[in-house]
Amino acid sequence: MQTDPSAHSMNSGQASSGQVFCRNEPTVLHIDLNSCFATIEQQANPFWRGKPLAVAAYDSPRGCIIAASVEAKKTGIKVGMRVGEGKIIFPRLVVVTPDPDKYRAVHKQLLRILENYDPEPYAKSIDEFVLKPVRGAIKKVGQEIKNRLKDEVGEWMRASVGISTNRWLAKMAAGQVKPDGLTVIDKSNFLEYYRKWQLTDLTGIKNANMVRLNRLGIFTTMDFYKAEVGKLRAAFEAITGYYWHLRLRGLEPDKEEWGRKSFGNSFALPKPFSQLVNLAPILMKLTEKMAFRMRRAGYCTNGIHVGILYRDGSFWHKGRKLFTECFDSRELYQKAVKLLAGSNLGKPVHTLSVSCFDLVEKKNTQLSLLDDRIKSEKFIKAVDNINERWGDFVISPARMLGIGDYVKDRVGFGNIGI
Amino acid sequence: MIQKVDVPVTALGVFDHQKRSLVFEKVLWEGRSYEIKKLGYHHNFRRGRTLYHVFSLVSENLFFRLVLDTESLTMRVMEIADENAD
Repeated sequence: MQTDPSAHSMNSGQASSGQVFCRNEPTVLHIDLNSCFATIEQQANPFWRGKPLAVAAYDSPRGCIIAASVEAKKTGIKVGMRVGEGKIIFPRLVVVTPDPDKYRAVHKQLLRILENYDPEPYAKSIDEFVLKPVRGAIKKVGQEIKNRLKDEVGEWMRASVGISTNRWLAKMAAGQVKPDGLTVIDKSNFLEYYRKWQLTDLTGIKNANMVRLNRLGIFTTMDFYKAEVGKLRAAFEAITGYYWHLRLRGLEPDKEEWGRKSFGNSFALPKPFSQLVNLAPILMKLTEKMAFRMRRAGYCTNGIHVGILYRDGSFWHKGRKLFTECFDSRELYQKAVKLLAGSNLGKPVHTLSVSCFDLVEKKNTQLSLLDDRIKSEKFIKAVDNINERWGDFVISPARMLGIGDYVKDRVGFGNIGI
Repeated sequence: MIQKVDVPVTALGVFDHQKRSLVFEKVLWEGRSYEIKKLGYHHNFRRGRTLYHVFSLVSENLFFRLVLDTESLTMRVMEIADENAD
């Protein structure tokens, strides 16, 4: 991720106040769709515009709110609350369940608009993009994108745009005015923001990192900015301290995006299952979904991980490395179910999750003396092709029978699911 | 109130080949005719290789979510809602 430190010193200089900040003009534009899912629902249904609306995993009182409209947020309704809690705050709250296809459609439309300004805009998640416009004044580009979002996607759509000299500051800038803001942070005004931001206002600094900084006498963003590199390295006990030194000076430590690290699926159980016999079919479906996505992206995996959040709030998880690269859902399920069998079964489960890690791009199949892996791979590809042609789970393992609509399509932030 | 339904529906509209857009004028549903005032959003998705178009439409006092199956060329209403939350 990191680049040559000497390269950064070339671009930074003393601001008039005596502080060091990147001398270059801002080149990074961060765009964030405001209250993304809720705003899209209001766009689709004009009756809901201007009303408090929540998108929730389920519309029952215990359903979790995953997006709240700008109007709902003003009443105090927050993401993560239960529908019932939201209705106590605002009894006439409109509650809708997610429509992932609609959200993906908006994502694709916005991506096509952004490609007019940067051939390779980076989608950080379904509602956040970063780009480096290749032509035009960047502030004008930001305003133009906001206008086109309204003209081409829908008049109710709103986005906050942040512009700065690095990705982190551009994201911070986008968060300054919501909804519908356009904020530039550069060498002329960065100190105004640093003076008003608390440490935990900074993206990437939450309580644990704040404690690390406090230990070394850093209590404000200005302290953080002024701190020597050595002090920051000591605070984070890692190169991370140096990256923060660069970020706060408007320099770019986050130039490269790493490739895919893992695939995972999770499911909040509608009933408090606690026995393997009930959990295994759900684990099977989660593993199928995860492995299908992994194969479609051209990867196989060297590791599997299972996690359980119990209804009493406790958490159990376990991962293991595999002996050989694996792409077969059945093999992955066998490993995962062994891990699950070793968990604290008997306690009611709230959320079950499975993920695979240590991914490698699938190139050649490692032959085995015991199994015909080529035949197996061909079979899996054939099943995947049938499922792609006729829809998910047209062919599925017998173990999944009877679990019906469990593990619905959800759009997780960070996974655009396209 | 939001009501999930899944029934065939008759819709009248005009396709403008220059704008490449389909403008709905009326939805005939349960023996009544609803004049369409606005298209909120149009998107599409695939299930397998079948392409579906989704039209979110509003009349004077009802919201319709119409889904066009491009393989069977049938239109169904999947959801209706009025102006009230519940």
